[in-house]
Amino acid sequence: MSSAFDRQVRPIYDALDSGSNKPAIIACTKLLKKYPKSTLLMALKALGLVRLQKVEESMMLCDEVLATKTTDDSTLSIMTHVLRGLGRFTDMIAMFDDAFKRQPHNEELGAQTFFANIRTTNWKAAQQVANKMHKQFQEDRYLYWNILAVILQANDSTTPPNMRNLLYKLAHRHVLSSPTPSYLSADRFHLHLIILQELQLFDEAHTLLESEVGKAICSTSLVCNHTRRDIWRLRGLWEEEGERAQRNITERRDRNWLEFLSVLDATFSTVSSPHQQEVTEAVKSECIECISKARQFFTEIAEGDGRKDRSGFLALLELEKRSITNGLVSDQTELLTLMKRYYNTFGDKACCFEDTRPYLELPDDSLSAWTSFLESQTVSYVDVSELQRCINIRKLTRYNLPESQLSPESESTRAVEYLSDYLEGLHLGNSLPVTELQPVDDLAILAGQAFVNSWKTSGDVKYLFSAALVLEFALTKSRLSFPIRLLLVRIYRLLGASSLAIEHYRAMHVKQVQNDTLSHFILSRASTFSSAATGDLTYPTECIEASQIYISNTQETAEFITRAFSAEKYTQIPDFMTFEDRLENSLQRDLVKVEHVRMRISHEHLEPNLIDSELVELKFVFDRVHHDNRDFEILPNYQPRSQPSYNEQTLLFGSSPSYGWLGLFLKVYIRAFQQASDLDESVEEKLLVGDRPIKPSDLEKISLKERLAERKPEEYNELTSDERLFVDWATILGDWLEPYHDHTRPPPAVVLAEAAKQTEKAYPLKGHVTPPVSDSASNGHSKKEEEAPAVKKAPEAVANFFDEMTQRFKSLVESQSPPSEILHVAALTQEAFLVFTMGTLRFRSAPLVKIHKLGALVQMFNEIRTKAICVLRDMQSHLAQVSEGENTVESRKQFLDLPVSSKLDHDFVINIAKKIRESRKKTLEGAGKGMLKICSTYEHA
Amino acid sequence: MSVLRPFKATDLFKFNNINLDVWTETYGLSFYLSYLSRWPDLCCVQEAPSGRMMGYVLGKAEGVSNEWHGHVTALTVAPEYRRLSLARNMMSRLELVSDDLYKGFFVDLYVRCANYVAINMYESFGYSVYRRVREYYGNLGVGKGGRDEEDAFDMRKPLSRDPQRRSVRLNGRDMIVSAHDVS
Repeated sequence: MSSAFDRQVRPIYDALDSGSNKPAIIACTKLLKKYPKSTLLMALKALGLVRLQKVEESMMLCDEVLATKTTDDSTLSIMTHVLRGLGRFTDMIAMFDDAFKRQPHNEELGAQTFFANIRTTNWKAAQQVANKMHKQFQEDRYLYWNILAVILQANDSTTPPNMRNLLYKLAHRHVLSSPTPSYLSADRFHLHLIILQELQLFDEAHTLLESEVGKAICSTSLVCNHTRRDIWRLRGLWEEEGERAQRNITERRDRNWLEFLSVLDATFSTVSSPHQQEVTEAVKSECIECISKARQFFTEIAEGDGRKDRSGFLALLELEKRSITNGLVSDQTELLTLMKRYYNTFGDKACCFEDTRPYLELPDDSLSAWTSFLESQTVSYVDVSELQRCINIRKLTRYNLPESQLSPESESTRAVEYLSDYLEGLHLGNSLPVTELQPVDDLAILAGQAFVNSWKTSGDVKYLFSAALVLEFALTKSRLSFPIRLLLVRIYRLLGASSLAIEHYRAMHVKQVQNDTLSHFILSRASTFSSAATGDLTYPTECIEASQIYISNTQETAEFITRAFSAEKYTQIPDFMTFEDRLENSLQRDLVKVEHVRMRISHEHLEPNLIDSELVELKFVFDRVHHDNRDFEILPNYQPRSQPSYNEQTLLFGSSPSYGWLGLFLKVYIRAFQQASDLDESVEEKLLVGDRPIKPSDLEKISLKERLAERKPEEYNELTSDERLFVDWATILGDWLEPYHDHTRPPPAVVLAEAAKQTEKAYPLKGHVTPPVSDSASNGHSKKEEEAPAVKKAPEAVANFFDEMTQRFKSLVESQSPPSEILHVAALTQEAFLVFTMGTLRFRSAPLVKIHKLGALVQMFNEIRTKAICVLRDMQSHLAQVSEGENTVESRKQFLDLPVSSKLDHDFVINIAKKIRESRKKTLEGAGKGMLKICSTYEHA
Repeated sequence: MSVLRPFKATDLFKFNNINLDVWTETYGLSFYLSYLSRWPDLCCVQEAPSGRMMGYVLGKAEGVSNEWHGHVTALTVAPEYRRLSLARNMMSRLELVSDDLYKGFFVDLYVRCANYVAINMYESFGYSVYRRVREYYGNLGVGKGGRDEEDAFDMRKPLSRDPQRRSVRLNGRDMIVSAHDVS
């Protein structure tokens, strides 16, 4: 190409880079007039189009470029992006395969063919390409690409177990055939090691690892050393490993806990091996000797390190604990002494509680000695060290509190004491900048958690309000404390103060990949609080923003897998693949998706576009094997060990939606969308572009219909009782309506003809020939040969559901239950009405009803609809009443009588009371207004 | 008691307790993956035996000829695990790898001039100020610490390949350069 052409194309690249897709497309169109055969311009235009979601147009150009079988590097590289955007990975392989065949000397094309195969887990084809490249270009790295592809195939869950060993043997042969030794790079060396480990070729591994160069690699490469340690253990070389670790600890001053574990494992290797039969007395006494040696060793380390490093001290604790577990020491005196010593040395460190927690489950006599030791400590607030000791004493004491001391009242008293500690120590952080965390924060968290425990055992909401007050106060002093905010998010959702929950969540500035692990805090069952029906898009927007990370993953992660191959960082590749898979198939991703759908149907018009697109998407979701990446550990937990954790205590409606919840809601919605949609399987096949996601093989055996009908008890366990009612109701409704939908759905040919008309005429659908539409059909509704199914009476449960929900609702309102519970029932009733509306949408067409003689059915629909609307209106008026009662002077004053209020500033208490009350009022009102809107929209449907 | 182990891509699912911190940036996926796909041995994690992450370091190797060196891009420890020598352990691991494996001449890092605690800590590890970079953290604007808040110290520590200590100097605090001279 001429340099003039290059000059003209450059701005198009720039435009695409900066996301100016439209100008890029215009520029392409203009230039294509001058260079109509330029594949590069076509590819660039196709890229712009796919990014603007103009899929059909992009497909056309894409096919044109593919047909030219071009080998032009720039075109091919742009095409990888186009094809990825269209999900056409199979075409990508074919494209590079062709190009590489035409230019077998082009290394880059070979590499791209290899990557395209890796991307689609075509291990075998990838191996062949790597093999070919190794022969052609004589570069060792292609041999290692081949080796890794073999290992990836061996580790693939679809590979039969007997193949695994054969594949590893093949990989081993490849390694040995390499003209250069594997130790030239740590990553090749590691690949070699894991093959030897799998095949248990320990002699070869030993030679490699004990060589000078092997030792050098392990000293700088943590990952190689890790595999070395595993191999040593597999070989049963516990003692050698222990001695080596001792040398590292003393000579190299290595304080990696893994080294200490090696010493500990060596000490107990003779008594704790899983293959050991009966442990003889001789073995026991030998082990006791080892223990005393290890004790001496760790004591020296602990004394030498002093307060600089706590590894020696903790190794002593662990040694004692293991001695007890193995029955080699009978009394706990030594353990207790060590724990006291540990507290005396490191009691002023924040990690003291977490460090000692594994050793705190003491038998009664030791426990009372330990408790009185803690009680004998004097508490002072003169400096941060003393304060930290106080915090540790409170946490350590609390951890072992017996049930008898945990009544709501005593927990409440305790909470107030924690708050007093907090207030006393507060002065220590006076001079800190606002960006710093206060050293007293944990005392406020303790107070908050004790109040939550009071609430959980008594059900009295005043304790939840108290917890909120304490934590809100702590937040005024420690503005950036994320643990405090997370605790508050949980409390506010329980209280139905949804806008405050969102406010705190947003203040944490959750970004990027954190959305996947943290968005459950705000989006789990979020449709309960959404007033999307009124046009308030707060929650739907949050769903979309939290889901951006999945798009980034699809677009970016694969690129780094190929980069890791190019840079020969083989250790990273399996990790990257796991990472990509865990994000792509993230449970949270699809829980958010379902919540979004639930909100979307409440504020968008129920029309074919929405129904069809959600149907297709949810069906993809339904085939995924999900991973749960959600982070629940992030919530601090200082509850006594006899109590459920703070996380468990504060889950909305007492449970966390997981795989089963997702499965059931997907089944309900896929079925509802299927019935409402004109797309049957054959039509969908023709209209969809791109590859289908690979289905797990066991799903192939059961039909979609069967899978949708399946109801497993473990799935039901994740639902609240109200959600169960809803799911059962939807199932009965679906069963009733199915025959009428199946009979009246237009035939595929008609649907396709309509679709072809809709997409611009210039882009005919792939493989579609428009059939002649007969004139006899009226408005596209043709009469079928067989009679319409006889109209059956509506199952009683369909209409009764709304009565049942009214009763549930009223009893909750009367018993002054928390708004979240009231809203849960109201939202599910509204949701049922929307699912019902969707299911009856098709029968709004008068000609259709007339042709199929379904007038009686429509009559029944009208009755149910009237009843549902009546119920919703009634609920709305109650919601309005409840919300009126929220923000009154009286309701705010209640806060002044809370257990904590005397300790806090009067204005502060009133201000928080106002905020909570207002937020609850807004949530209740919003839900009610949404219901009214929906009623009026669908009243005459 | 902390385990020192390599940073893995899947650690991004569990680093919240460290990254929900105003001074620890959470980047896009490509940032972490590009480090791991090039310098995995310069990225490591300290982990509690419970599996909870305590802190991590991300580093790279860069520069030409006698400027070839290891660079600390991010070093962070969760608040509850501070003052336990975790940073020191991670830094000495990074120095070891920069020295033995990458054969670098020195290791360097950037730190806010106002961040006395960190500067003291790095000095105790053997680092010294090589130069002051004006407006390196310009995006935040001049904060409470005035110019010190947005200027950075480029701190360095020579490795075994630089026995003459040519990569450091005594009067580094007075050597002032602008941000575009260093990036």
